[in-house]
Amino acid sequence: MSKTLFEKIWDSHIVVDEDGRSLLYVDRHLIHEVTSPQAFDGLRLNARKVRRPDLTFATMDHNVPTSDRSLPILDQTSSVQIKALERNCKEFGITLFDIHSPNQGIVHVIGPELGITLPGTTIVCGDSHTSTHGAFGSLAFGIGTSDVEHVLATQCIMMEKPKTFEIKIQGKRKNPHAVTAKDIIMSIIRKIGTAGGTGTVIEYRGDTISELTMEQRMTICNMSIEAGARAGLIAPDEKTYQYLKGRKYTPNNYDELVNDWRDNLKTDSGAKFDKSFTLSAENIAPQVSWGTNPAMTDDVTGSIPFPDEYGKGNPEEVKGATKALQYMDLKPGTPIVNIVIDRVFIGSCTNARLGDLIEASKVVQGKKVSSKVRAMVVPGSQLVKKNAEEMGLDKIFKDAGFEWRESGCSMCLGMNPDILAAGERCASTSNRNFEGRQGSGGRTHLVSPVMAAAAAINGHFVDVRELDLN
Amino acid sequence: MKGSIIKYERDNIDTDVILPGPYLKIHDYAELAKHAMEGLDKDFHKRVKPGDFIVAGKNFGCGSSREHAPIALSYSGVKAVLALSFARIFYRNAVDGAFLLPIEIDESAYHDISDGDSLEVDISKNEIKNLTKNKVYKMKPFPELIGKIIEAGGLFNYKP
Ligand code: SF4
Repeated sequence: MSKTLFEKIWDSHIVVDEDGRSLLYVDRHLIHEVTSPQAFDGLRLNARKVRRPDLTFATMDHNVPTSDRSLPILDQTSSVQIKALERNCKEFGITLFDIHSPNQGIVHVIGPELGITLPGTTIVCGDSHTSTHGAFGSLAFGIGTSDVEHVLATQCIMMEKPKTFEIKIQGKRKNPHAVTAKDIIMSIIRKIGTAGGTGTVIEYRGDTISELTMEQRMTICNMSIEAGARAGLIAPDEKTYQYLKGRKYTPNNYDELVNDWRDNLKTDSGAKFDKSFTLSAENIAPQVSWGTNPAMTDDVTGSIPFPDEYGKGNPEEVKGATKALQYMDLKPGTPIVNIVIDRVFIGSCTNARLGDLIEASKVVQGKKVSSKVRAMVVPGSQLVKKNAEEMGLDKIFKDAGFEWRESGCSMCLGMNPDILAAGERCASTSNRNFEGRQGSGGRTHLVSPVMAAAAAINGHFVDVRELDLN
Repeated sequence: MKGSIIKYERDNIDTDVILPGPYLKIHDYAELAKHAMEGLDKDFHKRVKPGDFIVAGKNFGCGSSREHAPIALSYSGVKAVLALSFARIFYRNAVDGAFLLPIEIDESAYHDISDGDSLEVDISKNEIKNLTKNKVYKMKPFPELIGKIIEAGGLFNYKP
């Protein structure tokens, strides 16, 4: 029988299957300081061990400071969480990339970077953007703390089988340096909505996807959760195998594995998806979110919509847009390029990999950040930071007036001191523009790294297709 | 299960407003509860009473996987959220940890129920009684497995 890639991975991980529920084996479990402490407390309370500490990897990313790390952490509550993770990993025998490790970074950046993420595997992590790892053809689910505890104890997760959703993206982007993977995924979410993927695992397919680098594919899969999907997948190909070759945790029998993956890890021709959506990449423009969820997005050449128009007669949508514009302090009809910004954040598990920083640096090189803007670059991991510094990117950003930080989640979720003040407006390369996400009262516009860089220089949004980025 | 309604006529109420990021560092659940819904409604913790229900629109709980979101609601006294639909991870967290019941209702019930109404939920009959308006609505039955986990009192108490 023909099967989709999802079905193949799912079927090969079933431990028990009854009455529509499955117990799946988990190949890799990633943990971090925020969603794991209660899970470890639970283990201790019930005198349970971690079943496979060798398949469990930990890092600290959500609340770590991104300033000088030789200094003690001032925030007491953060410090407590960080120390708890250190203690838990030691007690249960789990590999930890701590704040001083050269491998520390955002969990979804370091998994692939260290070769922990592998095609055909199942991965879980107490973080919704675990979908990122799907870029490698791994079935990766975000889970909550009760499930983290369950996986720590059993190395299994119980799930009902999701439906399958094919998203095909075809055609060549006219200017691939200006119209990025971020713009592709934001266009998709804008069209299918924040609940468009509910209950499904999305497989992204088509020639546009094949052309993307691994890092760009991660940007696409990362935001699957913003479309409400359980996970996002891209079938592995030669780029995938090349990317993972020789990384720190890439298995010794890698070539053998690759041969097997080449034969098996694809959707069979003739396999059926429960749902399908097709998008042409040819006319995608750089995207800018204007509202308080990622589907509230428009082309950079567009203007702030009138709620009535946006809602197309649906009173809830009209109300939603009205409230969003109030919060964002934007007037309908304002051209997006006229929106003036106060802050720029280039970072997060969506867009803080080396390729993102290289592209952004091209916009910045030889220029100065607008005097009205405070801008920062927070590399996704220490390895990204090191590689970027070897290329001199830190110098380009610093010379232009950007702050160059240590790696972590930082202003993506505002758990550490990197936050927006109330009323501040930010061009951000992260994935969520929810109210207060980057700081209470802060206003977030989601954009690509090149769009964020250009906004930093100009003090407002600009259409990066007009710049020379080659 | 009886309680009164706190209604938010809004879709996409996300985990960042249910429990804003800065509070993810708090371990004391009672303390977390003081910040429940703070991103949307600063007065929520003053308003909420033990046993209350929240009514909301589509895609409730979208966003982060933080279990702190259902925990904060639960420890502030909320026994159930009645919404048009839920985001998956929130739904799962609510059930797994037995924090509160995520109940799906239909459009007519959603529009009919007002802030402050007194409701009685009977999950054995999949029925919601509006005691204030003297009406009865249907709730969407829990899928079989979810029903069993709820009955057992969470994932860890559930034995297949
Ligand atoms: S960078 Fe942002 S979205 Fe990604 S894991 Fe960290 S907080 Fe979550």
